[in-house]
Amino acid sequence: MSPTGITVSIAAALLVGAAAAGWVARTSERPRGPAVVMARSEGAPGAVPVGDLAGAAVARLPADLPNPLSGDAGAIQEGRRLYVRLNCADCHGFEAKGAMGPDLTDTYWRYGGTPVQIYKSIYEGRPQGMPAWGHALPATSIWQLTAYVESLGGAFPAKDYHKGLQGDLSGAADRTAKKSGASSMEGQ
Amino acid sequence: MRSNVLARLRASASSWTGTGRALLLGAGAVVAVGVGIAVAGNVIPIQAPQPVRQSYSGARATMDDAGPPGEWRSQARDYSNTRFSPLTQINTANVARLRVAWTFADGTLYGHEGAPLVIGDTMYLVSPFPNIAYALDLSKPGEPIKWKYDPNPSPIAIGKACCDAVLRGWAYGDGKLIYNLLDDHVLALDAKTGRELWRTKMDNPEHGVTMPMSAFVAGDKVIVGNSGGEMGVNGWVAALDIHSGKEVWRAHNVGPDSDVKIGPNFKPFYGWMKGKDLGVRTWPADMWRTGAGSVWGFISYDPKTNTIFHGTSNPGPRVPAQRPGDNLWTSAVFARDAGTGEARWAYQFTPHDQWDYDGVNESILLDMPIKGRMRQTLVHFDRNTYAYTIDRNTGEVLVASPFAYQNWSTGFDWKSGRPMVDPKMEPKPGVTLQRVCPPDIGQKDWEPPAFHPGTGLLYVGIFNICMDLTDHPVAYIPGTPYDGMEMKRYPADGKNGHWGAFIAWDPAHGRKVWEIPEKFMVMSGAVATAGDVVFYGTVDGWFRAVDAWTGKVLWSHKLGSGVIGQPIVYMGPDHREYVAVAAGVGGAAMVSASMGGFPPRGGTLYVFSIDGLSPSTDVTKPETTSLAPAASPDHSKTGRR
Repeated sequence: MSPTGITVSIAAALLVGAAAAGWVARTSERPRGPAVVMARSEGAPGAVPVGDLAGAAVARLPADLPNPLSGDAGAIQEGRRLYVRLNCADCHGFEAKGAMGPDLTDTYWRYGGTPVQIYKSIYEGRPQGMPAWGHALPATSIWQLTAYVESLGGAFPAKDYHKGLQGDLSGAADRTAKKSGASSMEGQ
Repeated sequence: MRSNVLARLRASASSWTGTGRALLLGAGAVVAVGVGIAVAGNVIPIQAPQPVRQSYSGARATMDDAGPPGEWRSQARDYSNTRFSPLTQINTANVARLRVAWTFADGTLYGHEGAPLVIGDTMYLVSPFPNIAYALDLSKPGEPIKWKYDPNPSPIAIGKACCDAVLRGWAYGDGKLIYNLLDDHVLALDAKTGRELWRTKMDNPEHGVTMPMSAFVAGDKVIVGNSGGEMGVNGWVAALDIHSGKEVWRAHNVGPDSDVKIGPNFKPFYGWMKGKDLGVRTWPADMWRTGAGSVWGFISYDPKTNTIFHGTSNPGPRVPAQRPGDNLWTSAVFARDAGTGEARWAYQFTPHDQWDYDGVNESILLDMPIKGRMRQTLVHFDRNTYAYTIDRNTGEVLVASPFAYQNWSTGFDWKSGRPMVDPKMEPKPGVTLQRVCPPDIGQKDWEPPAFHPGTGLLYVGIFNICMDLTDHPVAYIPGTPYDGMEMKRYPADGKNGHWGAFIAWDPAHGRKVWEIPEKFMVMSGAVATAGDVVFYGTVDGWFRAVDAWTGKVLWSHKLGSGVIGQPIVYMGPDHREYVAVAAGVGGAAMVSASMGGFPPRGGTLYVFSIDGLSPSTDVTKPETTSLAPAASPDHSKTGRR
């Protein structure tokens, strides 16, 4: 299989997935040969929907957008309150170290660990059981939840999107994280 | 007090049994069988000649529908739920010669909880999610794949299953392999070809319903139930027609009598369970709709009375302050007409269950003399730590004794048939309760015991754990947990104490006969054989054979992952006896995943025989003759193209 062929497959797969999910990756309008060329480097979503915060005119923002509420103590506190209130804690654990759902304190991110990617996971849901909260929550609440998840230590800073993608941030949080013996796995 | 005595007994028992570390309890019974006697904390072996061995309990089982002695046709092998094999080739004299004969890895890594089935020359296995079925040819070297079937269940179910994307077993009947998919479908395959014959949708995984339960075949009915006690589901058990897959009846375990299938023939033994629509009236208004009472344990069946017995899960939400009342019919057992689903009687083990104790654990159908009178009973080890022996025709509790340490109940009220609750152990929202024992998963979870008709004992993996508990009020949001319990779990005997044990239990007298302490919770099923050997595995991956009479450990083998599945015993086409067990840790055993020694996940079936002999033994260059390739359970490409 030729390199061009691979590019076509990846771009096509992204577009099909994007169309199914109701959003479209931002790509170059100008085709190069038979391929649709990504404006950004391979694997990077060109843009991520960020809900009502961006307004109807700007439905998508770049993947490296920082969380406007990142590090805000009040937002983190409200995010934690929502995390318990919306039953996130029962799935991901009251210590967010994973139960039915994945650990949110480590540096392993199935769907990306930058603020916008975390926002997107909360907004759209994910295939293995994560509900789509975009239907129920205003953008501010999702950013607050994102701020809380960021405060747990495993998230990737927005500017380090590519470092996270290339594995350069792995282990950093684990090296500094406090060890916890508790597990909140449910018992059915 | 108790733990001090146990610790001393344990210490002295170690020196007596060597590797066995068995703990003898109930001195009277021990003397009677000539094994050892506990005096002032010391266990002394009796050297006298072997007396005639006598059953501890006098219990027997009819073991209907077990099939030929060498086969294993259902999860528990028979309708009585005994997990007893009549085979004797492997016995206490030669069990130490067990070696690995062959293995099979199914390529999946969620917890492996089911028992393989062996019918004729074929072994049937089904993986945890994505629930791939395999038929293996036992007559040929390498036990090649005859067929495989990948049903492609929806991945949404993975994140809706509370306790790992497991499957607790599968069933055989009418020439079909029948099992639940995690995404709430029941599937029937042609056992000869693996072709899909029917697939019936039962519920909606988007609302938090999953189906990790083992299907159970009773005559021409397939009995299945739902999971989601933590998700605010409405619990049910249903029967499908084995030929067509069409639903014949469905009974809910919360709600009005019409939903629960309670009619004029419903005769509970105790007065507080009599009355109209108790499945509504023992709840705050409308709370029963999300009240759970799901069904995910093993079913047993009495063909004489055409009755099935099933447990029901905890009430939802798990925060009891939000649902004052007994919350019928959660954390209970039902006897139902297998043909219609009509309830004959019920008994609630833990009224107003405040700790997620559930009542889903299996019932084992045994007949035994109690106070001089032969009774037809069911024996049930509840997560609440009482082991019950109950008249299975009336629902009368005959024996109720704790099989492990607990502190939530101060005793059993024989007049009402209710456990007495220590008010200090009742959770209040926002207040952290220290050291509630057992925690939510109980001192025994769903892992099934085995019964030996010779010893009259039940063999069961148990826990020895407690929790610190904080309740948080919860709102019902479909598809999310309706839960609210924040817990830290730890051993009852202190930080470095053992989390579990394997015990022998006399169900007629409600007493423990021996105990083997284990570092981790014992979440393995057990199997007992006429060779007087009992097999079980540990979460850290030791597969053990013990003497059914004494609890002496005769053999142990370390597997590649932990055992939370159910061992079986069968006779191969080569007339050799085999013992098979899956190594694939997961499920509720993951609560101890941060402990030293916790093994990696795995997905390998290990099969043992004396000296490791198998159909490939005398073949110079064994080769695989298979018509089918394995599935690719990660749904990746099968190769570069």
